[in-house]
Amino acid sequence: MMRITVTVNGQVYEREAPGHRTLLHFLRQDLGLTGAKEGCGAGECGACTVLLDGQAVNACLVLAPEVDGRRVDTVEGQAVDGKLSTIQDAFNRNHAVQCGFCTAGMLMSTQDLLSRQPKPRDDDIKEAIEGNFCRCTGYLQIIEAVRDASGRTDGKGGLKHA
Amino acid sequence: MLHDFEFRAPKTRAELLQVLADHGGLAKLMAGGTDVIVNLRAGAIKPRVVVDVKQVEGYGALAWSDAEGLVIRPATTINDLLRLPGLRERFPLLHACAHDLASYQIRNRATVIGNIVNASPCADMAPALLCLDARAVIASQAGEHEVPMREFITGVKRTVLLPGEVLDRVVVPAASAGARGGYAKLKRINGHDLGLVAVAVHKHDGELRVAVGSAAPTPVMVAGLGENDDAASVVAAARAVISPISDLRCTKEYREHMVGVYIRRLLREVA
Repeated sequence: MMRITVTVNGQVYEREAPGHRTLLHFLRQDLGLTGAKEGCGAGECGACTVLLDGQAVNACLVLAPEVDGRRVDTVEGQAVDGKLSTIQDAFNRNHAVQCGFCTAGMLMSTQDLLSRQPKPRDDDIKEAIEGNFCRCTGYLQIIEAVRDASGRTDGKGGLKHA
Repeated sequence: MLHDFEFRAPKTRAELLQVLADHGGLAKLMAGGTDVIVNLRAGAIKPRVVVDVKQVEGYGALAWSDAEGLVIRPATTINDLLRLPGLRERFPLLHACAHDLASYQIRNRATVIGNIVNASPCADMAPALLCLDARAVIASQAGEHEVPMREFITGVKRTVLLPGEVLDRVVVPAASAGARGGYAKLKRINGHDLGLVAVAVHKHDGELRVAVGSAAPTPVMVAGLGENDDAASVVAAARAVISPISDLRCTKEYREHMVGVYIRRLLREVA
């Protein structure tokens, strides 16, 4: 066991973590933050995407002791006092959520993208969410939502690809 | 669930080499973890100690110099490499291979050196490093020694590394800078996927080199081609060194055919 100190969504946590615990299981089971989902557990699907020191990573492919002294952001950190983030609001308005399993990962990949490129081109958006699988295949609405979150559309939302 | 193992994150190279010397074959080196953690989860490896190399002093450095060339250390991620100013201009092939590796999240974690040490036949960084004449510098408590990248990978998931050794750095010589090059990778989908087959073409100082991934037990290089060789003879030379297999992703005939298609396409692109 190793004692780790990690800042998650701005709050400092000190916990014991065995070497073989993944960051995903640490977040979900030890901290009770179940927003990040376990899809494949092998870095294929991106449902567990979180930000590690501001960079999108698959939490299933990080060991908990690796995050000692570092900053992790999860989807729970996006809404503030019950008010959706700009990205979440854009996903909502553009019907970018179907079953919802990929949504937390999509939101975090989008947060990483917009922090690097506030006005991404469509190719940038596709590259940023390349590692996030939506098995409802609602990609067009998701891309539309990211465009909207970046201020590239009229902001009215709605279904543009029905 | 992963099996129970000890996690170590040495801060210096001396400490790292001591941990490796102490545990020998029972220690598994980990950098980005994008292959190691997958293998741990699948039970394919059961190390007693997992040794994270990312905190070793100096292992995150990535530097270009006219004298030494490009020196890549074990904690350099694929995205670190892609963000290096001037990479695309100096080493377009290295940039193309790095950009085609997995997904954005994976590129934030996967390392160049880990991709080589993992020694998959489809390792995306291998074709570029083979064509660019990269050198592998191996360290252990006995000291350092160097092997050409062409000799580093010896078989499927096998390298020349012995227990107690670490691939300390990969050096891409300055003489390779400015070469023209391109990479084409066949995938089942437009998104991220392992390559069904991949081809790299490199032209520099009158010499043409072609490297092929996923078409033999190791990524392979076709050397000694002339810059003006016609496409048919380059394809024939490549077919002579590959030995593709049929597997659940496609047939050996399809792989062999696409190697030819990609060579012809890339020769036009880098002409």
